[in-house]
Amino acid sequence: MRINAKDLASGILLVALAVIGLWLNTEHTLGSARRMGPGYMPMLVFWLELGLGAIVLATAFFGGTDPLEKWTKLDFVTLFVGIGVTLVAYPLLAAMPALQANWYALGIAMAIGFAVLAVSPAWRPLAMILLAMCVFGVLLEQGGLMLAITSLVIVSAFADPTHRPLGVAGCVVFLLALCWWVFIYELDIRVNVWPVF
Amino acid sequence: MELLLANLAHGFGVALSFDNLLFALLGALIGTAIGVLPGIGPVATISLLLPITFGQPATTAIIMLAGIYYGAQYGGSTTAILLNLPGEVSSVVTTLEGYKMARNGRAGAALAISALGSFFAGSVATILVAASGPLLTEVALSFGPADYFSLMLLGLIISAVLAQGSVVKSVGMVVLGVALGLVGTDVQTGQQRFTFGIPELSDGLNFAAIAMGVFGIAEIILNLENPEVRSVLSTKVGSLFLTKEEWKRATPSVLRGTVIGSVLGILPGGGASLASFGSYMMERKLSKGRNEFGNGAIEGVAGPEAANNAAAQTSFIPLLTLGIPSNAVMALMVGALIIQGIQPGPRMVEAQPDLFWGLICSMWIGNVMLLVINLPMIGMWVKLLQVPYKYMYPAILTFCAIGVYSINNSVFDVYQTVFFAVLGYVFAKIKMEPAPLLVGFVLGPMMEEHLRRAMLLSRGDPMIFIQRPISGVLLVIAALALGLMLLPGLRKKKEAAMAG
Repeated sequence: MRINAKDLASGILLVALAVIGLWLNTEHTLGSARRMGPGYMPMLVFWLELGLGAIVLATAFFGGTDPLEKWTKLDFVTLFVGIGVTLVAYPLLAAMPALQANWYALGIAMAIGFAVLAVSPAWRPLAMILLAMCVFGVLLEQGGLMLAITSLVIVSAFADPTHRPLGVAGCVVFLLALCWWVFIYELDIRVNVWPVF
Repeated sequence: MELLLANLAHGFGVALSFDNLLFALLGALIGTAIGVLPGIGPVATISLLLPITFGQPATTAIIMLAGIYYGAQYGGSTTAILLNLPGEVSSVVTTLEGYKMARNGRAGAALAISALGSFFAGSVATILVAASGPLLTEVALSFGPADYFSLMLLGLIISAVLAQGSVVKSVGMVVLGVALGLVGTDVQTGQQRFTFGIPELSDGLNFAAIAMGVFGIAEIILNLENPEVRSVLSTKVGSLFLTKEEWKRATPSVLRGTVIGSVLGILPGGGASLASFGSYMMERKLSKGRNEFGNGAIEGVAGPEAANNAAAQTSFIPLLTLGIPSNAVMALMVGALIIQGIQPGPRMVEAQPDLFWGLICSMWIGNVMLLVINLPMIGMWVKLLQVPYKYMYPAILTFCAIGVYSINNSVFDVYQTVFFAVLGYVFAKIKMEPAPLLVGFVLGPMMEEHLRRAMLLSRGDPMIFIQRPISGVLLVIAALALGLMLLPGLRKKKEAAMAG
């Protein structure tokens, strides 16, 4: 059997999203074709998506081989542990009063998940780049723009193994100066520049 | 005719103001830079810079963003010719003949003809935009809701049909984009849809977060996973002047490229990359017997480079006259206009003459600037290629993060970007083309509005879409386009064309 794994995955993704969408849409009133309720267009869209997903799924079995990349055991383990840890950490963190504001719980939970994912070398570019974004989000409001940019650049530098400390330091200094000039001096966006306590 | 001249005079008045000139230049410079640099394209750059444009008047903002798009068409050829690497998707075919020309010691000539060809094509296309704008607007004003719905449907289908890869998957991406556009408050009833009780989502998903996540950040991750080897520049640029023989061969190619590019740019789903492919195929067919193709034929540089710039300009026609984006870059322009409080559509020409005519005139001025930026200053851009990617990506990432935060001053938007970056990464791994998604996301809410209005007018009778002549014709074209692509023979031809 020559299965096109990429098409198979695409089909599953489309079908799954369509089913979730149709299920979520059950809480909206459909209305009639003449007076459409809030649920009418979503119903059309998700049924269409379900149909397209089914076609992609079916053609995957005749489309010739197109395998996905090979995953090592470590890739699987880190992915599942990472997702699991995020799902467990989020409700726990969200229950803490100190983390109620600013979506701290979400940011920290995702950051932990990406940190776990980064253990596997194959996931590292993805994990470090997105970890850097999460760290930026967590630090921005309290830590200020300068601290957030510094952490973002340092964390994201781990995504490329050829980075050296001196080069990263240069990057940080250059970007701090550039961002201060563009976003604070020229555009004057409303954000703390330095840490607030 | 007199009216057109008066309008153009008005447009030049707007475009020649100090601010607008400055930002046209800025857009052209940024566009050339990202065109030269492989690994970052106009879609990512424009979404990155969207937040920066909020503080400016709408006209200035659009002038700059447009400059980035057509500027990238000029810059992309430089890398293609000198390094055999496409700086931009639309210059993939330029590597085929352009790099060979460089190896034969004619790099300067290849660079010169691509800049001159682009300039000629850009000028012609600009005139086309100016002439067709008011004309098409007249037509569009007679459109009812049903006609609009069908037009958008046609746009979505053609953009999916012309996208790279499987047609069904592309249509799936369009529908997914429309689905993402459903998130938020329902306009007519005020009910929250798919917001999961998150107040930040009541205005819908953040457009910039989707664009930056799927195109900007996912790109970075993929580039880091597959580091490209950038060979150190060894080719000399050489003389920029063309020989008489080269002029004679290149001129008709430029003319043909301009025509092909202009037409393919207007088509929904078309745009610069499709145009350059189309032109290259044509030049190769026409030059049969010369056997020079594959060994540095100047026609293969002149045609596609003229075509991609012409298409970059004419793809503004459906946006400015009908309010319908024909590709992902134009979808971003719609986003920029809506954020500025301007609803793109046929009324824009009358309601926003500064924007319409100012943009057109600035396009031509921008092309003049680009000619100067690219030809005498080529050495500077070549130097830019020596900046390693590892110093570029932290900067792109930082701008993404700050930019997306500053739109609503919301950290939640930063996390939305992370979410869409993951999604974009998955799409790339399973070969789903993300561009149709963005077009679907922008058109989705408009389509729902028009669908509801049309069905209200027809009292729930869907036959209205077939009975109204404009709508009916559009739907027939859409069905034909979809049907043709499902034929195996044509599909293979398209795949061959896309593969170069």
